[in-house]
Amino acid sequence: MSTLRLALRMLLRDWRAGELRLLALALVLSVTAITGVAWLADRVAGATESRASELLGGDRALVSDRPIDEVHALRALEQGLSVSRTLEFASVILVGDRTQLAALKAVGEGYPLRGQLQVGDDPDAKPETATTIPPRGEVWVEPRLLMQLGIAVGDTVELGARQFIVGRVLLLEPDRGRGFQSLAPRVMFNLDDVAATGLVQDASRVTHRLLVAGESPDVEAWQSTVQADRAESVRLESPGEGQPAVQRAMDTAKRFLGLSALLTVVVGGVAMLLTIRRYAARHLDRVAIMRCLGATQAGIAFLFTTKMILLGLATALIGTVLGYLVHLVMLALLADFLPSLPSPGWRPAVTGIGVAQVILLGFALPTVLRLRKVPPLRVLRRDLGGGVLKGVGVYLVALAAIFLLMWWQAGDLRLAVYVFVAVTGTLSLLGLGAALVVGILRRGWRAGGGSGVLVSAIGRRPWTTGVQIVALGLGLMALLLLSLVRDDLLQTWQDGVPDDAANYFLINIQPDEVDDVADMLAEAGVDTEVRPMVRGRLVAIDGNAVDAGAYEDPRARRAVSREFNLSWLERLPADNSVVEGRFWKGGDTVDPQLSIEREFAERIGVALGDTLRFRFGGDYYEAPVTSLREVKWDSFNVNFFVLASPGFLEDAPATYLTSFYLPEDSQVLLPRLVRAFPSVTLIDITSILEAVRSIMDQGVRVVELMALLTLVSGLVVLLAALQVTREERRFESALLRALGGSRGLIRRLALTEFLLLGGAAGVLAGAGAAVAGYWMARSLFDLDYGINPLLPVAGLLAGVLVVTVAGAAATRGLYRVSPMRLLKSSEEG
Amino acid sequence: MQIGSVLRTERLGMRFQGPGGEIRLFQDLDLHIDNGETVAILGASGCGKSTLLGLLAGLDTPTEGRVLVGDTDITALDEDARARLRSRHVGFVFQAFHLLSGLTALENILLPLELAGHRDAQRLARDALERVGLANRDRHYPRQLSGGEQQRVAIARAFVTAPRLLLADEPTGNLDRDTGHRISDLLFTLNREQQTTLVLVTHDPELAGRCDRVLHLDGGRLVAA
Repeated sequence: MSTLRLALRMLLRDWRAGELRLLALALVLSVTAITGVAWLADRVAGATESRASELLGGDRALVSDRPIDEVHALRALEQGLSVSRTLEFASVILVGDRTQLAALKAVGEGYPLRGQLQVGDDPDAKPETATTIPPRGEVWVEPRLLMQLGIAVGDTVELGARQFIVGRVLLLEPDRGRGFQSLAPRVMFNLDDVAATGLVQDASRVTHRLLVAGESPDVEAWQSTVQADRAESVRLESPGEGQPAVQRAMDTAKRFLGLSALLTVVVGGVAMLLTIRRYAARHLDRVAIMRCLGATQAGIAFLFTTKMILLGLATALIGTVLGYLVHLVMLALLADFLPSLPSPGWRPAVTGIGVAQVILLGFALPTVLRLRKVPPLRVLRRDLGGGVLKGVGVYLVALAAIFLLMWWQAGDLRLAVYVFVAVTGTLSLLGLGAALVVGILRRGWRAGGGSGVLVSAIGRRPWTTGVQIVALGLGLMALLLLSLVRDDLLQTWQDGVPDDAANYFLINIQPDEVDDVADMLAEAGVDTEVRPMVRGRLVAIDGNAVDAGAYEDPRARRAVSREFNLSWLERLPADNSVVEGRFWKGGDTVDPQLSIEREFAERIGVALGDTLRFRFGGDYYEAPVTSLREVKWDSFNVNFFVLASPGFLEDAPATYLTSFYLPEDSQVLLPRLVRAFPSVTLIDITSILEAVRSIMDQGVRVVELMALLTLVSGLVVLLAALQVTREERRFESALLRALGGSRGLIRRLALTEFLLLGGAAGVLAGAGAAVAGYWMARSLFDLDYGINPLLPVAGLLAGVLVVTVAGAAATRGLYRVSPMRLLKSSEEG
Repeated sequence: MQIGSVLRTERLGMRFQGPGGEIRLFQDLDLHIDNGETVAILGASGCGKSTLLGLLAGLDTPTEGRVLVGDTDITALDEDARARLRSRHVGFVFQAFHLLSGLTALENILLPLELAGHRDAQRLARDALERVGLANRDRHYPRQLSGGEQQRVAIARAFVTAPRLLLADEPTGNLDRDTGHRISDLLFTLNREQQTTLVLVTHDPELAGRCDRVLHLDGGRLVAA
């Protein structure tokens, strides 16, 4: 107990002496980054777990693209369960001449069975719980739709053939938020109004849901009967498993954020290594005296370990509180996409404390523990014991600690190894670049003669300079990559899209409407083709039944486990090119055959010459694959993974679709189209792209927050390096003054040093971000993106600004030291 | 060569606040040092001789009286003006050598030349290094040199700008006897060759004895030996 008190007293003394402040700061930043992500992940995960039933809208749901057999609902009612239905589809909502694609949801009596709808009379109203579903003739809409269309509660809107009054504003929908559907604003109305709108036809793309809720055993009994005889197109969803895509996306996001938080630890670790080394060096004499006065090696080790653990607890506390605040900022950034969240738990705080200890044990403890080896004889011979701090062991322990943390965050050894190699590789390359810069500057100072003194500071401290360049460079690089390269990539992608690329899709065109739609488009001067589309399920490849479970790739599994879209045509479209085999020529006379998009074929394991068997409704169709194609998806033309030769699929139930480019000034065509063909769905691609972009922006801003913390850690490294070289700088300043240098000159020297330091870190960071962006564009996004030569310039400016301001602030006063101190040594002696 | 005093003090005094009240280090010091003269200031530890040396160099300002270098009253100058004056007219040799560890021997000698903006810095620095017998050590860093060699580099640095006044603070204090002898030989030889005025502070009577004039700082007064 007395050791604990001694350790606490010594720690407070160290703190007052300012010895551990930067170490603590770096540690606080690390804990902040990690716990920020932990709080966020914990609460979002909590929301999905505790509210899984609400997210489903019931205890179980049957989901299908076709109407669901009445028998399932009847059975549920017999078993005393509550039942409700919903129907979801996309369609355009009209107000005068304005159109807006909306995610429609028609709900039946009783909806939602679990969770509650929150509504109000205007977007800023206090949410109240809805006790009914929308009455007939009324729609409830999401706030953003009101803004998009410039309407308010009480106004009239058109949905297909029927007019509706906007009844309430929909403020919270428990089972909202699935993929593409969530991009368009929600419009909810009564299921009994669907028929009157005329929007839903037999082959329309809609999602039927049958929601069921009740006592657990009853629900399970019902589930087993359903599983026995449900149609193949009907999917059974239980709470939690209903949204695998959302779950997966969240897991991925959590991992990614967790790993980016570790960058802060890596950079902060450099600051910790620098400060703890100085701390230990300054404690050599004190430990020698303690040893001389009888302290044992074990005693010293115990004392310093206790000190570190106490420091870890204190910093973890502050870091966790800050992390909590950071997570609030992240929540605010992500507000549009998050459900309402449960109150924060205590687990992230425990994480923070654990992580702080691991970081300290990895980065600081090995160095201070070496102090126990200081020989007591040092009190007589000061040259003894100076070497106890040397050796590579401490760095190896630090690397091991970082790797362990990565493993823990990634939850996957392979990913951890990959990230570790990537991070250390980047650090090594930055280090190499820093060594190069320092080397060139030193050589320049040697060769230049006259102006040498101006750059000499960099050359005089090559090690600390190199470390600072690497640490600052990493932070800047992460920030540049996230802000500038992201914009670059988006721009490159948009540039790749031709100006007259289709900006509207019309889907759900019924066979008897094809000619009229085509005529109306032609009259308006729109040049396009209307294509047929049939929905079928792949049942066999070369006679072998397709088993979704046999695919490892989740995308392949999804593709084969549900119906997908096929079309037929006579000639290869201009934006397609055959890469293997031959595309058919001629009209209806050709034999049945198929052409498949190359990547898709690879994904589902189909090769040229394989015979595929499809089922459309109750009928089977079989044909060989005679060509593989590549498709330019950027054109936004209607394209298909699988094309059939003409004549082959013509008996299958088809709908038609088309895409076209409509300049902004001819958009009066849209309301005419929607009114003339109410069941046809008009999709505005521009607004969808904007929605995608806004999602990306919000997500990226959260990651940028992490990168910002990394950059701040880089600044702590700068401060740590300044602290380490503080004595040296004071001495240099005094000497230069004694030799006749003016204060202005000394200030300019420091400024030059910071300019060079920031410039070098910035240029390297910019170059690194450019290369990383280039690599990402090519290998991850398949974009033809060149290296952006402006990135190093942007890096240079950012680096110079950040480092000069921080450096000048940190060294203020340092250069006012009197040169008299040079004479002090003899004054004392 | 200029005739007359190169360094002069008038009623120079220094006091400061200590823990137990005001401490008067010295007062009313009147000192005339002629051009080319060598003067040693002897005194016990803590008597203020290093402080006096600092005042003579303009590193600090006195609380009373004034210091004149040539005709210039340096106590009336601001910091930067005093620094400019030092870069042209004053050289320094310290007890602890005070070389910059990140610079080679040659670069350390280049430093004052660059501060003063000399054109022919490289050649002057090499000449100076040769005169102290270390021409072949130009690329060595201070840690690769012995104590005596480091002090020789420091002496080369002091003389390279051809100052009118050289101030040395215990120049042999950190060296063994033999090395100390060689260093003081070098110091006096160069001083003679360059006709510099030398003021050195020491408590080594033997080193002091090589000077033209020896003064004792005792009880706040300068007394001729």
